[in-house]
Amino acid sequence: MTPGFFNHLMLICQFEIKRLFSTRKGLLYLITFAIVWYFILIYPIRFASDFLSQRQNTSHGMSFFEFIGFDSLLNWEIPEFSVYWHFSLVIFPMLSIMSCSDQTCSDRERGTLRFLTLRVSRDSLFFGRFAGMMVIHTLLIFTTLFTTLAFAIYREANLVPAAFNSAMAIIVNLILVLLPFTAMMAALSATVKSPRQATVWAILIWSFLAGIISLLSSYLPALDSLIILIPGYQMSELSQLAEWQTLQLAHIPILQTIVLLVIGRWIMLRQSL
Amino acid sequence: MKPTIIQCQNLSHCYSGKNALNKINFEVVAGEPIGLVGPNGAGKTTLLSILCGFLRPTSGAVTLFGHKPGASVLSGKIAALPQDAKLDPTFNIGEQLKFYARLQGLTRKQASIETIRVLEAVALKKSLYEKPDTLSHGMAKRVAIAQALIGKPQLILLDEPTAGLDPVNTRNIRSIIAELSPETTFIISSHDLTELGRLCQQILLLENGIMNTMQLNVSEKNSPTRFLTLQMEPCSATDVIKKINQLDGIVKLTNPQKNEFIVEYSPEIESKMDIKIINCINENNWQYRQFSQGKSLEEKLFFENQNPE
Repeated sequence: MTPGFFNHLMLICQFEIKRLFSTRKGLLYLITFAIVWYFILIYPIRFASDFLSQRQNTSHGMSFFEFIGFDSLLNWEIPEFSVYWHFSLVIFPMLSIMSCSDQTCSDRERGTLRFLTLRVSRDSLFFGRFAGMMVIHTLLIFTTLFTTLAFAIYREANLVPAAFNSAMAIIVNLILVLLPFTAMMAALSATVKSPRQATVWAILIWSFLAGIISLLSSYLPALDSLIILIPGYQMSELSQLAEWQTLQLAHIPILQTIVLLVIGRWIMLRQSL
Repeated sequence: MKPTIIQCQNLSHCYSGKNALNKINFEVVAGEPIGLVGPNGAGKTTLLSILCGFLRPTSGAVTLFGHKPGASVLSGKIAALPQDAKLDPTFNIGEQLKFYARLQGLTRKQASIETIRVLEAVALKKSLYEKPDTLSHGMAKRVAIAQALIGKPQLILLDEPTAGLDPVNTRNIRSIIAELSPETTFIISSHDLTELGRLCQQILLLENGIMNTMQLNVSEKNSPTRFLTLQMEPCSATDVIKKINQLDGIVKLTNPQKNEFIVEYSPEIESKMDIKIINCINENNWQYRQFSQGKSLEEKLFFENQNPE
């Protein structure tokens, strides 16, 4: 019996996870990721959290962070998570742009997608690869957050209940933050010929589109609302929020993801293989 | 009555304004292998790509088993050897074929067994754990054929299946096709007309984006004249033409290529023309290389109305 859409989705998703853990390319990515996060944990997170925990209760410390524009770091109950949150808001989207740039383009250029589309629908393939990348992001978020949690508990063991609450808020929010970036890369990957092109386009969209929209909206103010479609548009506001308050902006990445997935699917269905 | 598995109506495809397929109409019923031939750029790969769902036609309608190409219900029913498609170089061959089998609905265990079966069929069981980029062109082609054999597809579309294969593996692929027919219908696009002549009873000829269908061995039986093709060892063509033309019942004798002669004769006047010609060869102490009934497929398809006298 032919498997249905969700079975295909699961199988493709599993195969993407296998790609990360059992191929040389995937393992190289994991090792690089682990080294980067090791240094982030050892230096910025540890030192900053030590510094924050010492200064958090003093007015002198508060005014220093307000002065440098990082007063939002003090909004989190656990300083390690505060620093983690600010770092991950920058690093995970960047990693997402790089690691998700090859969802379909290399396979299409090589002809591997032909073997796959003889067996699964293009929808299953597009959404299966997207889901696979999101599961990988979730695993990486869990791992890094767990190590940060271990740091926090090592410093103060009675932080466990509060840490669990903050960790859950961070996981949910980071997944939401990464959804539109992954969807944007899925759409770009369905369009361009190489992962490098997809990355370049993502950087161009991310860097210049906001500027172009701002410029155009000065002539036609209605266009200003288009800025909401740029992945990461909400991140500066998001970094000012802490714990579950961060969900106040959840509608933005969800809306962006839906729009980008619809565009990506449309491209995928019409693309010649 | 055998079911119709492919229906094309007014199918057209354009690349940058140039017609690769021009309103072609045809139907394919399940059964014996079907050859798809045509000169370079005739639209063979385009047609196969549309049938596989890799390309969207510019206009017209096409259905396979009553569904549009690429529909998920066709998963496992249709298999193909696409031209120039390669496996993912990051996974070994076994892992990828197992994955394809799983996508076709096989269990993990069935997928492992099926992977070994199809690799054995193309004599590549030893390459189970090898990466695709370590294979030669011919071996990669055989692996691509192996993926098309996974499960029990009802229709297999093969684009140049024997191009680049050595003679032993070409024969092996021919045996696989013969063994699976007619339960599985094959559509074979190839320039190797000898190969197609051996395997197929029906030929689809694509020329300048226009399709013609030809049933082999049917047209000659109904024709008032019949044909014989004679390939001689090096000899004087003038002598051969002169002597054979003297036989009763000869309608026309042509010499399309060096040492090759096509004899058109009337079976009503001389029903055993083959024996007459053999006797003629014997009497003149000539040597022949091959002597066969009918015209070669190449003659039938491409030179029917062009042969010089």
